[in-house]
Amino acid sequence: MTTDPNSKPKDEFYIGYAQKIPPGIRNFLLVLVPGLIALVGILGFWLPSVHNQYSPGALDRTQDFQGVLMAQPVPHLAVPRQGNTREGGAYSRYLLSAFNKAAFDPKALKELSGQWVNLKGLPVYRDHYTLLASAGATAADLPANAPMAPPEGKSLGEFDLSGQIEDSKCYLGVMKPGESATHRNCAIRCISGGVPASLVVQNTAGDRMYFALVGRDGQAINNQILPKVGSPVNVKGEVMQYDDLYVLKANPEEFKL
Amino acid sequence: MSVNYEPVLWNRQKVIYDVVLVGSVVLYLLLFMHFADSIGGSLGVSNLDVRGIRIRAFGSAGFILLHVILSIGPLSRLNRKFLPLLYNRRHMGVTMFTLALWHAHLATGWYHDFGNIEVPLVSLLVSNVSFFTVFRFPFEILGFAALCILMLMAVTSHDFWLANLTAPIWKGLHMLVYAAYALLVGHVVLGALQTNRHLALILVVAVGMVWIVAIHVLSALKEAKQDQAIAIPDQAEFVEVGLVDEIPNNQAKIVCLSGERVAIFKYDGKVSAVSNVCQHQNGPLGEGQIIDGCITCPWHGYQYRPEDGASPPPFIEKIPTFAVKLEGDRIFINPIPNRPGTPVEPAVIA
Ligand code: HEM
Ligand code: HEM
Ligand code: FES
Repeated sequence: MTTDPNSKPKDEFYIGYAQKIPPGIRNFLLVLVPGLIALVGILGFWLPSVHNQYSPGALDRTQDFQGVLMAQPVPHLAVPRQGNTREGGAYSRYLLSAFNKAAFDPKALKELSGQWVNLKGLPVYRDHYTLLASAGATAADLPANAPMAPPEGKSLGEFDLSGQIEDSKCYLGVMKPGESATHRNCAIRCISGGVPASLVVQNTAGDRMYFALVGRDGQAINNQILPKVGSPVNVKGEVMQYDDLYVLKANPEEFKL
Repeated sequence: MSVNYEPVLWNRQKVIYDVVLVGSVVLYLLLFMHFADSIGGSLGVSNLDVRGIRIRAFGSAGFILLHVILSIGPLSRLNRKFLPLLYNRRHMGVTMFTLALWHAHLATGWYHDFGNIEVPLVSLLVSNVSFFTVFRFPFEILGFAALCILMLMAVTSHDFWLANLTAPIWKGLHMLVYAAYALLVGHVVLGALQTNRHLALILVVAVGMVWIVAIHVLSALKEAKQDQAIAIPDQAEFVEVGLVDEIPNNQAKIVCLSGERVAIFKYDGKVSAVSNVCQHQNGPLGEGQIIDGCITCPWHGYQYRPEDGASPPPFIEKIPTFAVKLEGDRIFINPIPNRPGTPVEPAVIA
């Protein structure tokens, strides 16, 4: 009962299970599909270049360090510098955390603070700011030519600073860019777990300065600043210098979103 | 009754469709990761964060594919040459869901493993609780909500569910895809575009949104214009719906009777009227044609006999029919639908 060929509909009609595609539709697809594939190619080529996934943070291999374990103002290891480097400070100060999103071994901090220790750590660094991820430390003998004990911090005065609060681990290291909205959850988990928090301040030339964060009395404020992590904040506080480590003393409510 | 109803299984066109689909997705992912790698290398970045790059590659691939999926419907309404893309749209849906799922899996692991909340998913939901802010809003939760919708669509996507939920409910469920799209625009605007306020990125997201809204509005306008609404006089048994000459042979005219679309087909010197709604997925039967004596749906080729609205055996789909009569050149239809599959005598053109 099929119709005679002259009365066939003249509109082309595509049926997915038919063997033949009508020529008009076929020609259309022969332009459309390569066009779409070209668009995919352009996006795949172009999008990575406008993403900001290339921060200079890095990890190194795990290595042995020897230095003075410091619990205050933030947990860190003070490692004597080679040669006479008085101007920059006699020690390099490396922040400390555990390997996961957690504080450095509290037991070691309590028992060995102020003492020489051996510590196996994974350096995580960006610019000149370094954290060692480490499982713990063991007491070491006082080295024969040990320098004087690491100096106390000296106050540089009150400063008005604008920047972002970040964790001092993922931000410094492998996560790129490791800041702002996309990294906020991760930073919140790190900081609440006890990884030191830092204020990252950037000048218009793009140079960054880092300030480890503690309260006015030197107390930890990790849990109180969580609602302000990863957003632009403004803060007035006292800056302390410990050799190459800067510490900002400000109470949590002094950080303004 | 001659019926060439081949089972809709794998055929050459379906294979080509899937090869192009999967091929483009793989091409995009490889290009994205390759160029991210080489740009990182040229900037001297050590320890390039490959997991972060994968998260972005999979997320953006899914988001781009969603734009394609959302474009096909309106584009085919505007120009029927796009219909071949619609034919296998479900494979696009499944592919998109897979990309999104992998993106979410990578992102949850990368940012939430090893924290002081053991279950990464819980960590995802409770870490940032600034719900009453705009720019600090936990954008991940928008992605999570979208993923739940996509998952619901994916698990109910098989024709088994289609048959058991009935096409209108299933279609309603599928319309949630627009909610998912809105959530994902929020996910991207409050997430990636906050970290990286690059003008070009903001522009591509905005252009994508304007495009999606524009083609939907255009196709809705076109459809509204085509919908010839016919007023039904009180107690009239038959309503005039047009002239025989308006309808090309083996095709149909669609009219709207009390909100319901009716397709009036002309074929073999006869006129029959059936519901415009395909039982498969609500395809517009009136935009189909009579092929081998059967009304053939333009979307996936389901077939119905014009005389009784029933699919030829062994198929069992049935659509409502309408009584038709002719007075000279004028076509009249009884606006009360017959139960699906009811035989109706076609009106013979004198
Ligand atoms: C549980 C669900 C989800 C989570 C936890 C999640 C998490 C994330 C995170 C953390 C980012 C930022 C990545 C970065 O810059 O490092 C992101 C970006 C993104 N997500 Fe999701 N997401 C989820 C669901 C989805 C879904 C369903 C889609 C849909 C395709 C999607 C699409 C995107 C896109 C397009 C981006 C921007 C990527 C880019 O920077 O180019 N996400 N998501
Ligand atoms: C995973 C299994 C899926 C299957 C089997 C499936 C199947 C289908 C089918 C057969 C249609 C045509 C019916 C109609 O338009 O009313 C359709 C429409 C559609 N699907 Fe899916 N789908 C799936 C998942 C998805 C997903 C994950 C998305 C979103 C990303 C999606 C988005 C859409 C959209 C936007 C339409 C168009 C609705 C319209 O314009 O009328 N689908 N889907
Ligand atoms: S909607 Fe799929 S064949 Fe009609």
